[in-house]
Amino acid sequence: MSWGWSLWVMGLVTLNMGITFLLFLWAPRAKIPTLPDQTSGHVWAHGVIREGVRRLPTWWVWFSASMFVLAWLYLMLYPGYGHHPGLLGWTSHGELARDVARNDKLLGDLQQRFSRYTPEQLAQDPAALQQGGRLFIDNCAACHGRDGKGNANLGAPNLTAANYLYGSSGTDITTSIHDGRSGVMPPWASLGEDNVHNLAQYVLSLSGSPHDATKAAAGKPLFTTCAACHGPEGKGNPALGAPNLTDQVWLYGGTLADIEHSIGDGRQGHMPSWSPRLSNEDIQVLAAYVYHLSHPGDVRAR
Amino acid sequence: MAYKHFEMIEKNAGLLGVLIAIMVSLGGLAEITPLFMQAHAVKAPPGVKPYDPLRLIGKDIYVREGCYLCHSQMIRTLRAETQRYGHFSTAEESVYDRPFQWGSKRTGPDLARVGGKYSDEWQRLHLLSPRKVVPVSNMPDYPWLEHAKLDVADVQARMRTLRRLGDPYTDADIAAVPEALEGKTELDALVAYLQGLGIRNEPTAQASAQGASGGQP
Repeated sequence: MSWGWSLWVMGLVTLNMGITFLLFLWAPRAKIPTLPDQTSGHVWAHGVIREGVRRLPTWWVWFSASMFVLAWLYLMLYPGYGHHPGLLGWTSHGELARDVARNDKLLGDLQQRFSRYTPEQLAQDPAALQQGGRLFIDNCAACHGRDGKGNANLGAPNLTAANYLYGSSGTDITTSIHDGRSGVMPPWASLGEDNVHNLAQYVLSLSGSPHDATKAAAGKPLFTTCAACHGPEGKGNPALGAPNLTDQVWLYGGTLADIEHSIGDGRQGHMPSWSPRLSNEDIQVLAAYVYHLSHPGDVRAR
Repeated sequence: MAYKHFEMIEKNAGLLGVLIAIMVSLGGLAEITPLFMQAHAVKAPPGVKPYDPLRLIGKDIYVREGCYLCHSQMIRTLRAETQRYGHFSTAEESVYDRPFQWGSKRTGPDLARVGGKYSDEWQRLHLLSPRKVVPVSNMPDYPWLEHAKLDVADVQARMRTLRRLGDPYTDADIAAVPEALEGKTELDALVAYLQGLGIRNEPTAQASAQGASGGQP
């Protein structure tokens, strides 16, 4: 704040407080013309409402005067009087920093305990799960759902299932959260509508789902292209995040239409990297919570 | 003024109204003038750039659709907020927001640093049909955004107006608008705006008031 505006504020505050002070001096001495019936003679509604004249109650005068003194005290201690920072040096970000430091101290022991264990081990620690669960709801639930069961509209994987696209060890989960993941299945519409249809039938056959055997057989030779990522038997590849096509787990839905869509238009599911938002400690307890979602049997204490 | 004059003011509502208006105006002038002058003293910090055309029109769509009625863009200096949303907001960050979108009404979450929190696809799906991703959401659907085209001349006019107000757009920036909006819909613009919120303008530890950083590392 520049000196000019600082003086402006100081002037206004002083003016207001000065007027208040003068009112204190004037009010008890004010000559109020009083009629014999103890009213001022001001009437409204044809005399139904009249203005009584009474002395200010003593308690009110004292209360008001103490507020006047407190106001000056406040302006002395806290920011408000121009650019005077206040004797206490209070700032909102300073208070926040103190609050954060106090909280970090409370969490210090817990964080230190967490840092000694792997996500797999922490998945058995109720405190870690509680903290991880909070973080999950706030950050992950928007895509994976509050219960972690995923969202086929987005291709957000079900985290309560055992088979993870990119591996389900504590380290794999930590990497997924820390760096994010990007699906890279290209669109294959260039193969032609019939080929995409036959290929989809073949993909259905891999998991033993109901399919048209003739069309599946016609689609089979085309699968050599897909095998580069999904493997010759369609069992997927966690290093690439290529899904296993032989199980009944479908990221984007397992109907013929869904699969045709996946093949024709490709899929580029994207999980953002969380390292800019969450601390490594947060990511570790989050990984523990996610690990626990897929290995619920491991946890004795909830 | 002595007490005897009060009767005239007390019993004459019109006069009372006029006198109140005068006093309130004086008070307003005294309080608003310095704030108004100070607001012009706020300068953009290094990381804060004027909106590119797509995000600019995205911001105006955000305003048009009334997103601010349920979403604030101001993280307050409270631990619960900095823990959930990130570093508290500063005035410098919104120098190019006209009007600013700070707000205080949160039916939905604060969006000041939502950029990059979710994927583009999530944002699209969520705008078109929020309950497809958040089953408990009470946010309305915005299906028309997907089909609404953007008007190049309109965006260029907005940029010229903002330049007159002091935003550093160059002629080249304005000439590049058709290219930037090629094939984009209102949905693309709004998603681009949302995905840029709070990105790269988070105050650094030194900048945020002498080492009193309250944000997360």
